Amino acid sequence: MEVDIDCTGLLCPEPVLRTKKHLESAPGPFTVQVDNETARDNVSRFARTSGCEVSVLESDGKYQLTVTPPGDTRQADLPEVEEAWCPPVEKKTVLFISTDEVGKGERELGQTLMKMFLYTATESEIPPSTLIFINSGVRLVTENEETAAHVKKLEEAGAEVMVCGTCLDYYGLKEVLKAGRVSNMYDIQSAMIGADLLVSI
Amino acid sequence: MADDIKLTEYSRMAGCAAKLGPGHLEEILSRLPEETAPELLSSISSGEDAGIYLLRDDLVLVQTVDFFPPIVDDPYTFGQIAAANALSDIYAMNAKPLTAMNLVAFPCAIDKCHLEAILLGGYDKVHEAGAVIVGGHTIEDDEPKYGLAVLGTAKVGELTTLRGAAPGDALILTKAIGTGIITTALKGGMLTVSADPVIESMRELNAGAASMITSWGVHSMTDVTGFGLARHLYDMLRASGVAADLWAKDVPLFPETLAMVSMGMAARSSMHECIAEEKVEVDTGGVDELLVQCMFDPQTSGGLLAAVPPEKADGLIEALRSGPAPKAAIVGAIRESDVPKVTIRHSKKGSHGS
Repeated sequence: MEVDIDCTGLLCPEPVLRTKKHLESAPGPFTVQVDNETARDNVSRFARTSGCEVSVLESDGKYQLTVTPPGDTRQADLPEVEEAWCPPVEKKTVLFISTDEVGKGERELGQTLMKMFLYTATESEIPPSTLIFINSGVRLVTENEETAAHVKKLEEAGAEVMVCGTCLDYYGLKEVLKAGRVSNMYDIQSAMIGADLLVSI
Repeated sequence: MADDIKLTEYSRMAGCAAKLGPGHLEEILSRLPEETAPELLSSISSGEDAGIYLLRDDLVLVQTVDFFPPIVDDPYTFGQIAAANALSDIYAMNAKPLTAMNLVAFPCAIDKCHLEAILLGGYDKVHEAGAVIVGGHTIEDDEPKYGLAVLGTAKVGELTTLRGAAPGDALILTKAIGTGIITTALKGGMLTVSADPVIESMRELNAGAASMITSWGVHSMTDVTGFGLARHLYDMLRASGVAADLWAKDVPLFPETLAMVSMGMAARSSMHECIAEEKVEVDTGGVDELLVQCMFDPQTSGGLLAAVPPEKADGLIEALRSGPAPKAAIVGAIRESDVPKVTIRHSKKGSHGS
């Protein structure tokens, strides 16, 4: 994929300054390539603080970050897409869950909403085919017993549940995994790319 | 000063962030032959702040060196900070600095009056420390660099090292954390507040704090520099054969440090390496990710980190705060463990088991 801002070989704070400049001048999603963890963390933090969505792909020691500014036109089109969408049963629906709460607001509410969301998925006529739990999302299949039970139910009904191993290690939660299997970025990414519909929470 | 200069425009990286990572260094050093002279009391692999050489039965030589590219724009201030930073290793070992030598790299393209200002800053700090500059060496380089090699002495029984931290000890830090983050933000033009508190802190000698801490009684002491608080603490734990909780929320930070991390201004650190190698773990109860980053921020001329008997901690903190170290705080506690490891917890409140 074409990279909009190539920060290979640049030291901090330069990658962030270039990202900032691009964000101020050009609307719409763009990609930033960096070659070290500090720059990856810094560009991600800066973009998120600025209200953007960020996703990171790693390959060959380089990181490609896709930054989607808030209020991007592609997001504005979403309702239309939803109306037009009618899923056939065999559609591969992937839920990418990178947080342990739904939406931005009071944490308690966000956690309750997440519990309801996962419960609703178990009752849905078209359950997701794959669920990916990453970053603080891994709490939902480990220390949070209620949500873990919902996910377990989905898994038993045939859904594939992938849990980020790096994240489990980071939070020290590997020993208390209650649903799903430990997975890696390669498999997670393959599942995302192979999805007919990718829902990111 | 002849004309204005922005020294940091000539540095690729800010201050101690320019230090080579501890992992890379360990690997290289492990392949070199080991020094075995009986007078040598320190070893490079121990991570000790300075070399210790037994001169007489009751006296050791303490020798250290440190230099880096400009961390601030003003040449005189840069000289002061570099000297305070180089002298800090001597104080961390409770030694007395005697002599120092300048190490200088300077570009042809910059007016030499600025080099004079840097050296004057160094002279003034070294004299404040009661030591003398006896010489130096200068080379030409595209990136300016300045620092000093410092020689000091200590009485054998008074030396403080990384060894000796005992379970139950309180961990005391004497300066706020964040010099790497704030100077990165300064370089990037992102800082919205004055950098003065950081500059004041960096050029402050650790002399007063060291002498107060050692007079109260201390088990182990080091200074926090380029590897960051958590990694320097790990060196203490490894040498002492213990573990520790580090209370992230209780660690004093410079104004706007967290905000600058959230704006992507973290300096290159040993964070991912330390966590991957299980030298440092983050409490599963949850610690703000931005705070965790601060625990690894590379410090230039950072404060002292001391393990002191718990019953003395409160009194010592009060004395430090009203004297040489207004930002001093208790930032953690030593735990008994066979495995040296730093556990970063949100705060003392959330801590258990110690």
